[in-house]
Amino acid sequence: MARIELSGIQKRWGNVWGVRDVDIDIGDEEFVVFLGPSGCGKTTTMRMIAGLEEPTEGEIRMDGEVMNEIDARDRDVAMVFQGYALYPNMTIYENIRFPLRMRDVPAGDHDRLIRQAADMTELTEYLDRKPSALSGGQRQRAALARAVVRQPQAFLMDEPLSNLDAKLRQAMRVQIKHIQRELKITTVYVTHDQIEAMTLADRIVIMQSGAIQQIGTPDEIYNDPANTFVAGFIGAPPMNLIKGQVDGGIFTASGITVDGLRSDMSGAVTLGVRPEDCAVTQSDANLTGEVFGVEPTGDLTYLTLKTGDAMIEVKADRSYRRELGVDEQIAFDRERLFLFDAKTGTRLR
Amino acid sequence: MASVRKSRSESLFIRYLILGAWALFCLAPVLWFLSVGLRPRVEIITPRPIYWPTFSLDAWHMIWEDWPMAKYLRNSVLAILGSVLIDLVLAIPAAYSLSRYTYRGRDDIGFYILSTRMMAPAIVAIPIFFLFRNMGLLDTIWALMIIYAAVNLSIVTWIIRSYMLDIPKELEDAARTDGASDMRILWEIIIPAVLPGIITAAVIAMIFAINEFLFTLLIASTPDAYTMSVALANFTGGSDGVIYNAIALVAFLAFVPVFLVVVAIQKHLSRGLTMGAVKG
Ligand SMILES: Nc1ncnc2c1ncn2[C@@H]1O[C@H](COP(=O)(O)OP(=O)(O)O)[C@@H](O)[C@H]1O
Ligand SMILES: [Mg+2]
Repeated sequence: MARIELSGIQKRWGNVWGVRDVDIDIGDEEFVVFLGPSGCGKTTTMRMIAGLEEPTEGEIRMDGEVMNEIDARDRDVAMVFQGYALYPNMTIYENIRFPLRMRDVPAGDHDRLIRQAADMTELTEYLDRKPSALSGGQRQRAALARAVVRQPQAFLMDEPLSNLDAKLRQAMRVQIKHIQRELKITTVYVTHDQIEAMTLADRIVIMQSGAIQQIGTPDEIYNDPANTFVAGFIGAPPMNLIKGQVDGGIFTASGITVDGLRSDMSGAVTLGVRPEDCAVTQSDANLTGEVFGVEPTGDLTYLTLKTGDAMIEVKADRSYRRELGVDEQIAFDRERLFLFDAKTGTRLR
Repeated sequence: MASVRKSRSESLFIRYLILGAWALFCLAPVLWFLSVGLRPRVEIITPRPIYWPTFSLDAWHMIWEDWPMAKYLRNSVLAILGSVLIDLVLAIPAAYSLSRYTYRGRDDIGFYILSTRMMAPAIVAIPIFFLFRNMGLLDTIWALMIIYAAVNLSIVTWIIRSYMLDIPKELEDAARTDGASDMRILWEIIIPAVLPGIITAAVIAMIFAINEFLFTLLIASTPDAYTMSVALANFTGGSDGVIYNAIALVAFLAFVPVFLVVVAIQKHLSRGLTMGAVKG
């Protein structure tokens, strides 16, 4: 329905920075997730797309048309707020109907559209209730129904699942993605939860301190991180980032040696290796450390090793058990090692 | 276990005893008024104690038949309701602006509105008298309406504003992205959400207006504009002397509707009174 372009977007309040530098071209029907820690400017970016906040610098275009000066109520986007923002005095039916009334959709179509949206979000039996009589998950779905009812140019969703418990979150994630695929509406989704980002997104935009760190598909973000921030943000547990020296293709840090790396570099670097690319071994070890923690989760076991002053996370086999304090040896998957500049954190390719 | 239960019931008993005593202390004048109002005049002014009072509707007949009480009542009701209406029409948009928009001098304007309440009314009594005289509004209920509205506008604005501050901003943002204009947001989202606050503010304004005496006395000079509160004063002078039973009965009648309204909304009322004061 709509392509959304943000170019050179900045947002400042006096000398407080909300967003420093955002450039992205969101394609029609695309599902883009903004991912980053709290306070990195995700909400601000989304509010600028909605027209609730005006950018200090830069241009927002929808389908090529500059939107900067266009008021929120004249932009055809629907937003799902973190706190749901359901109108407390109206029933769910009236809540879903509100955007139809405001946008002068012919009254004769209302009932059909509302029931369609309620059906899609499994709310049909709750239409007569007030928001206060609904559970968190139902309120979340009501907010979603209010957004989908008028088939806008774009959906904007600001951490819509953050107030739900883990099980419900997983169920709603599937539902949101399904609805988006069905309606084929461009969607911008904000979250600080990397699992949500990985599972929902066509493309992920990783932000930190108001600036974009990397844009890419979930696979690209996972397999080809641009810097230590991205590497450390994706994955659970996150990538191990080990400070050390590289010289003649050999990386060394206390208790760790990795050879066979590129031989055209020397000096201080950060070596990145994901817990799932580490394996307990008897020979050819890259690392020897003391067992610091063993956490069985059922389908696998998290092993934490202490070596020098670094803690290394390893995903071990589900049957792995060890006494604390004994030495353990680990081999890294050489194909999946990442080197980063020790100072700037940018990837050394 | 037994001793715990005993001490709890004991403390409950003491609590009721204290509250009961307090209630009696507060209600005694009201009951006394009722008793005075429903007794013949001679019995009230007799110096000997009376142990078994005589019931009489003398005062009741007197206030309706000898005095234009119906007119006073009508004046009171019209002036008070009119003033509350004016207050709401002016205060709701003002409170919305003060609670929602940021602009230069907003807090100063807010404080100025509140400060009008801090001034002793006597200070402006003379200028107001001349103002209304020049407008030809002396001795009319229109003047009373305006003056009551002016006196209460600040408190009404402030109470409604404090309720509006409690509405999450997200709610308005949602309405705006849903396509609502500012007026529709105010009308369809904000006003329904702060309705308890609006009712509270209206009742408080009503109570203040019923009790208003100084300005009413200044503006009303004939029964055309007398209200209940000023009419009361008329029972003290004149050739008949002080008519205690009529005063008591009128005071009681003025008290009852306010009392009932306050009981009906007391849950909101305490919040309205404190919030208006505390929220900065
Ligand atoms: N209205 C505002 N005035 C001043 N600073 C703000 C305002 N809104 C957001 N900020 C600041 O901008 C930064 C980004 O905020 P936000 O976009 O809400 O972050 P996120 O949604 O990623 O958690 C934060 O440091 C926040 O304090
Ligand atoms: Mg946010």
